Amino acid sequence: MSKWLKENLWRHAFATAMCLFSLFPLYLVVLSSFKSSGSLQLDSFVPKELSWANYKMLFSSPKIPFLSWVKNSLIISSVVAISSVVVGAASAFAFSRLKFKGKKFGIQLLLLVQMFPAVLALSAVYVIMERVYSFAPSIGLGSQTGLILVYLGGSMGVNIWLLKGFVDSIPAELDEAAKIDGASPVQTYWLIFIPLATPILAVVCLLSFIGTFNEFIVARLFLVEMQGRTVAVGLQQFIGGQYASNWGAFAAGSILASIPIVIIFLSLQKYIVNGLTAGSVKG
Amino acid sequence: MSSIFRGKFAVSLKIVILAVVTAILSLLAQSAFATGESAIGAFLVFAIAALNFTYFTKFSIPLKFFIPGILFFIAFVIAPIIFTVVMSVFNYQTGNYISKPASIEQVLILGVEPDANQTTFDLVSGKDSSGNFAVLVSDIANKRFFISTQDSITDINASKLTINEYGVATTAPGFTAISDSELAANDAYSKILYKYQDSYYIKIEGQGVGAVFRQKITYDAKSDTMKNIITGETYINNGKGNFALEGSPETVLTPGWRTPIWFENYTKLVTDSRFRTPLIKVFIWTVVFAGLTVLSTFSFGLLLALALNRRMRGRRIYRSILILPYAMPSIMSILIWGGMFDSEFGAINNILHTHIAWFSSATFARAAVLLVNLWLGFPYFYLICSGSLQAIPSELLEAAAIDGANPRQIFRRITLPLLLQILSPLLIASFAYNFNNFNLIYLLTGGGPRNSLDGEVAGATDILISYTYQIAFGRGMNDFGLASAISVIIFLLVASISFYGLRKSKVMETFG
Repeated sequence: MSKWLKENLWRHAFATAMCLFSLFPLYLVVLSSFKSSGSLQLDSFVPKELSWANYKMLFSSPKIPFLSWVKNSLIISSVVAISSVVVGAASAFAFSRLKFKGKKFGIQLLLLVQMFPAVLALSAVYVIMERVYSFAPSIGLGSQTGLILVYLGGSMGVNIWLLKGFVDSIPAELDEAAKIDGASPVQTYWLIFIPLATPILAVVCLLSFIGTFNEFIVARLFLVEMQGRTVAVGLQQFIGGQYASNWGAFAAGSILASIPIVIIFLSLQKYIVNGLTAGSVKG
Repeated sequence: MSSIFRGKFAVSLKIVILAVVTAILSLLAQSAFATGESAIGAFLVFAIAALNFTYFTKFSIPLKFFIPGILFFIAFVIAPIIFTVVMSVFNYQTGNYISKPASIEQVLILGVEPDANQTTFDLVSGKDSSGNFAVLVSDIANKRFFISTQDSITDINASKLTINEYGVATTAPGFTAISDSELAANDAYSKILYKYQDSYYIKIEGQGVGAVFRQKITYDAKSDTMKNIITGETYINNGKGNFALEGSPETVLTPGWRTPIWFENYTKLVTDSRFRTPLIKVFIWTVVFAGLTVLSTFSFGLLLALALNRRMRGRRIYRSILILPYAMPSIMSILIWGGMFDSEFGAINNILHTHIAWFSSATFARAAVLLVNLWLGFPYFYLICSGSLQAIPSELLEAAAIDGANPRQIFRRITLPLLLQILSPLLIASFAYNFNNFNLIYLLTGGGPRNSLDGEVAGATDILISYTYQIAFGRGMNDFGLASAISVIIFLLVASISFYGLRKSKVMETFG
């Protein structure tokens, strides 16, 4: 018994303490989402009331277009995720499997710009999109299409780099066999590589989805209209904007918005951890 | 199956897709050139050429794979970076935001003065009998009515007019009124200046109202100067985007325009203590913040990984709970923490039974930022460390144990050095990431506390990137030039840190 204590007690004690630390804010949010008082106050650890008012408000208040925020977020994130994988996969394939002049330079450039934090180029992107707006308002500043283009383009370097890491891990023997059999690179890509890489592409697609869903600052600068906002920007307004710190509604909204992300994340845990060691994926 | 990628079907599909893309891009390029955005137009033309060339010739097969990626990459990654570098040598800020022609136009519009009585008239906008823009003006005080165009003024006898109960003429022979909605839809109408007497003219000031003005400031394109024709003062182009009064360089006409000032934004950061002091302060905190974050998240993550690095009851449950902070969308978690630190209603003060105003004190705000980042970041290092611990060959540890090393010695002499070696690129990457952890700072403290009444831009928890954002997009003064200069400096810093890390970890050698 004493040996067990010595060996395991500190482990359980420390792990439990960290678990409590991890859970505390999350528990508080769940608690607050069922409270009608609208603050993140902790009156007691045990829930005293179970009010669905906050959840109801999200879906019924005409001033809070929560559903259209969710819809916007889903549309923007899916379009960005799918397009970036479609465009990125072809580039990653070329970087990983084909031989050409300037490949080393290309890879180094990709790596270098990955270090240029996107927020820094934000004033430039803003000015560029402001000018695009002047001749094509539907894809310029303030439009969802414009936001999608910025996300898609802005994440291109990181995505190609990440995808290249994954593609490198797919054995090249099959490609080479196809090449010997006389397949062109285009045929190898569609007939050999894509079927092999589909699971990986799906994972990258979901990671990109999470990343876009989580994005705040560009969306905040870009989307001004109430109806057109993303969940992240919209929910932030509950506590920073004209709603005067409505924590209850914020808590309910963030729980609903987080659940799908947490589920995706937990189910992809294994791949994400592998991806983490290949390069940072989640901010 | 393979027939899809060869033969007539594939070729026609290719042509259709390319034709559609080319059509859309050409349309955009056309309107870009039409509005004078020639740089964007040129890029679009380049994109059209590159796409068609790549897919209709056999010039390069790899290019077929990455040309769409490259185009996006150039448009939204490379171009903004270049643009940032270019902006950093410009005077490009509130007051110097527009182009020079637009600035001259604005200065001239603002450079007017009303007549001595500040006369205003009721008027109706419309067109005269020859189709010129005109206003039907009612000078009620003097019972005078006239139609004024840009270059003529015609008095009309009141008997020929329809005059309403306020004494305002509404119709005149040969004069066609323009409806209010049409006026509102086209602001060209409001820019027209209608003739009055002497150097004065009438300008539409609102719906049905015009005021008498005369031009005070005039522009001389030859000498590139502005002149006040009433006082005779001359304003000279000061080369920094403004017309400044001769002999008094501080007095400038506004708005100015954006113009290159070369390295002034950079030198300002070094020589002007108003910019240097906050920059140094922010830089030091950025390094401290990133360093402490890496240290704390790595230590807690490693300790957890060590604690759970054996078969024990509840390990899976622990793992699933510990990963939760990482799985939550970080924006939500940061905002939640922000609420928890609220001085009045926050849960932290509830638990501690304190009344600390966390975000009003520099020390407490910094502590809060670090604590929240620990919460956000330790699961990452826990995951990484537990993976890496398993990668350390068990023979090494067993051999050490046989040689009589105790667990602590094994950890310090074998496990930790090996782990640090494996993880050093990730530790550096984490440092670089937190160096630019914009969301955390912006959403948690907004960079505060800062004394904005004193015009202070840099807050106590501002890191370089949030400080830069504040300069570019904050309330009040927006200085894109200065923000870009800081951005370039940060990029150089982060790139050197990362390259040092990569060189050390020898990742670069595997290229090629």
